[in-house]
Amino acid sequence: MKAPVWDLPVRLFHWLLAGLIGFSWWSVKFHHTDWHIWSGIAILTLLVFRLLWGIFGGSTARFSSFVRGPRAVREYLRGDGSWRVAGHTPLGALSVVAMLVAVAIQVGLGLVATDPDGLYEGPLAQLVSLDATDTARDIHEYWFYVLLALIVMHLGAIVYYRLVRGQKLTKGMLTGRLALDPGVAPMRSARWWVALLCLAAAFAVARWVVAGAPPFSP
Amino acid sequence: MRNILLAATTVGLLTGCGKSADTLAPAKNAQVLPITDNHVMLAMPGKSNPMDAMMRSMQGKPMPRGAAMQRMHERHEGMEQIGKSFKIAGRTLKSDTPDLAQVRTAAATIALLASRTPTWFPAGTGQNVGKTRAKPEIWQRPSDFVAKDTALRQAAAAFDAAAKSGEMAAIQARFSDLGKACKACHDSYRSE
Repeated sequence: MKAPVWDLPVRLFHWLLAGLIGFSWWSVKFHHTDWHIWSGIAILTLLVFRLLWGIFGGSTARFSSFVRGPRAVREYLRGDGSWRVAGHTPLGALSVVAMLVAVAIQVGLGLVATDPDGLYEGPLAQLVSLDATDTARDIHEYWFYVLLALIVMHLGAIVYYRLVRGQKLTKGMLTGRLALDPGVAPMRSARWWVALLCLAAAFAVARWVVAGAPPFSP
Repeated sequence: MRNILLAATTVGLLTGCGKSADTLAPAKNAQVLPITDNHVMLAMPGKSNPMDAMMRSMQGKPMPRGAAMQRMHERHEGMEQIGKSFKIAGRTLKSDTPDLAQVRTAAATIALLASRTPTWFPAGTGQNVGKTRAKPEIWQRPSDFVAKDTALRQAAAAFDAAAKSGEMAAIQARFSDLGKACKACHDSYRSE
């Protein structure tokens, strides 16, 4: 018996983020730095949306429902690996938070970075010194490997669930529905227009950043 | 011996450089050029315009390792300096009140260094010799590379001239052209 676990905004966020990370890598690798910057701004929009959706969204999207302390993670790991709540397991939640933070750091670095030739720069590069824009780029390049490591672990976990536990998590992220043990409460949805408000706010923040974050812009 | 070669090169440049777009104050440039492969420059003194000289140096005998390393170092420092100046110019040009003096200094530095680029890619200064992002394709397609280098020198000279004129619209336009000249070459001939 399958029940709703991930709401549409969570799924759209997930797949758009995955696609845009891939596109960001491809565009900068093949010298389309202008597309790369726009891709980063799109990711910024997604992140702001996800932050808001983590407060106002469906039950499984809310940080308050899945972010747990180290003790909960330890207890979960000591247990038999079952998790009787719809949504992220404590370990999975750790991975979600790590990825969101890592992507946010990557976007933040990109916003103040410049390319080696000074032909392109993030919308907030004017707020920092020229040396800082170069340093930001250097870290931005290395930080990609941190993202890559997290992505590899994420994919590894999906393969583990598929092979060892017989659960198709990828399909669950596509359809939003997963098999739940009897008695486990399914997701409680948020209202659709809340998602639109969160999206509008995210666009507003991104628009403000693109404008150089006035009144701080020089 | 070196002085004689240098003087001869200067004479060669002075007599050979009729095409003004290619050269900026040739005599002055000849003196600041740290020329170590003068034999290449002197091979045909009557024809030593930068494009021909560059082509010959790229297709000639590979430089000895020591000289090659020195040249690659000079190339690296020069490119870095061009990049720095370009960024300084870009930053002030993007501000509401561009600092013309800063733009002029940057433009002059870029034009001077760009005028030296024809000596920066002699045969034997590629990735098989030392650490460099200069791709082997540079020496596989020398005529295209020389054409792109010429475009860079012309764009740098045009930006310098615009900066000297002080006309903002022209400065912005020539700055943008210069950026395109950098990118055209780097996209094809610089490795990651």
